[in-house]
Amino acid sequence: MYLKTGVADKELVSNALPTEERRGSGPYAIIECFQEIPCNPCTEICPFGSILPMDDINDLPRMDYDSCTGCGLCAAICPGLAIFIVDESYSDTVASVSIPYEFVPLPQKGDIVEMMDRAGEYVTDGKVLRVVPNKKYQNTPVVTVEVPKDKVNEVRFLQPKQKTEIAMPKADPDDTENLPDTTIICRCENITVGEVRKMIDQGYDDFDELKRLIRTGMGPCQGRTCRHLIMQEISRRTGKKFDEIELGAFRPPTKPIQLEQLIGGKEDV
Amino acid sequence: MLRIEEHPILTFEKGKLVTFTFDGKELQGYEGDTIASALHAAGVKVMGHHHVSGRPRGFYCAIGNCGSCLMIVNGEPNVRVCVVPLEAGMVVETQNNRGDLL
Repeated sequence: MYLKTGVADKELVSNALPTEERRGSGPYAIIECFQEIPCNPCTEICPFGSILPMDDINDLPRMDYDSCTGCGLCAAICPGLAIFIVDESYSDTVASVSIPYEFVPLPQKGDIVEMMDRAGEYVTDGKVLRVVPNKKYQNTPVVTVEVPKDKVNEVRFLQPKQKTEIAMPKADPDDTENLPDTTIICRCENITVGEVRKMIDQGYDDFDELKRLIRTGMGPCQGRTCRHLIMQEISRRTGKKFDEIELGAFRPPTKPIQLEQLIGGKEDV
Repeated sequence: MLRIEEHPILTFEKGKLVTFTFDGKELQGYEGDTIASALHAAGVKVMGHHHVSGRPRGFYCAIGNCGSCLMIVNGEPNVRVCVVPLEAGMVVETQNNRGDLL
């Protein structure tokens, strides 16, 4: 589910949390990084070695919570904005959470802001305690907000108080299924999903066959925009698995170039 | 104006203001723009029309992949204006066909 929606569930998050004892004894960094990608600024920036060195750059970061002071450098440097600083020892009723915030205008100290969960749903209001601009570390400002203690590991984003309710369209990553027949699927050749569906239903269930019949993927983009969309459509209509569908032939040059470049007279842009 | 003037992370340094023509009309853009970004900032949303259906083509991938912004630049057809830097005095024209060889 996480890979599909990008929203970490309770189990993933609770695995990233330190022990109850550590949570009560001062600020700590919580790293909500759940997908292996080649990225390590957090291990490099940590002045206390609390984010343990990686054996492989693709590894997920691991924490030594005993040495973490909650200084917040990792929250500012993380390119994925996946690190937060939580202080549950702040008071008996409220806790603070520091969140990287890359929007303008920046909130000001004392502002009441709306706090959202990982899926972007409103949870509670919070009071801005401080805003650190971080000009030194790639400019990502970190905003620290005071929230009710029981909500501190639920809220992960903030927005200014909305004067009116903004209806956000719900994005469904799988919704290409419900495209109307009139949607253009191949922009270069102006081919609609309907035309592609008709061909697939007649048995032309191969990218190259469709290419020869209705020219999908034969325009200047050479399938870079439509290839996967068409393969998804083939998969859906034939019931074949997506990875069993052939990509189709790629023939050089795979993008528009000038004849002059072919004879070596000019560099490509 | 469609330029980003204030950005939380990045700063944009503009080059010199230069003049070019688009379908005979004089427009201005900055050095460092691509032709497409200068046109877009000047309010030009239609980069051309499909050679068969005549549907308008917009600024789409912006990285030279999709071929949606092919235009005639200084007489040369099929130029991907989203990856070609703007120069002073360029003559840019919309292209509504596959492009003619000289």
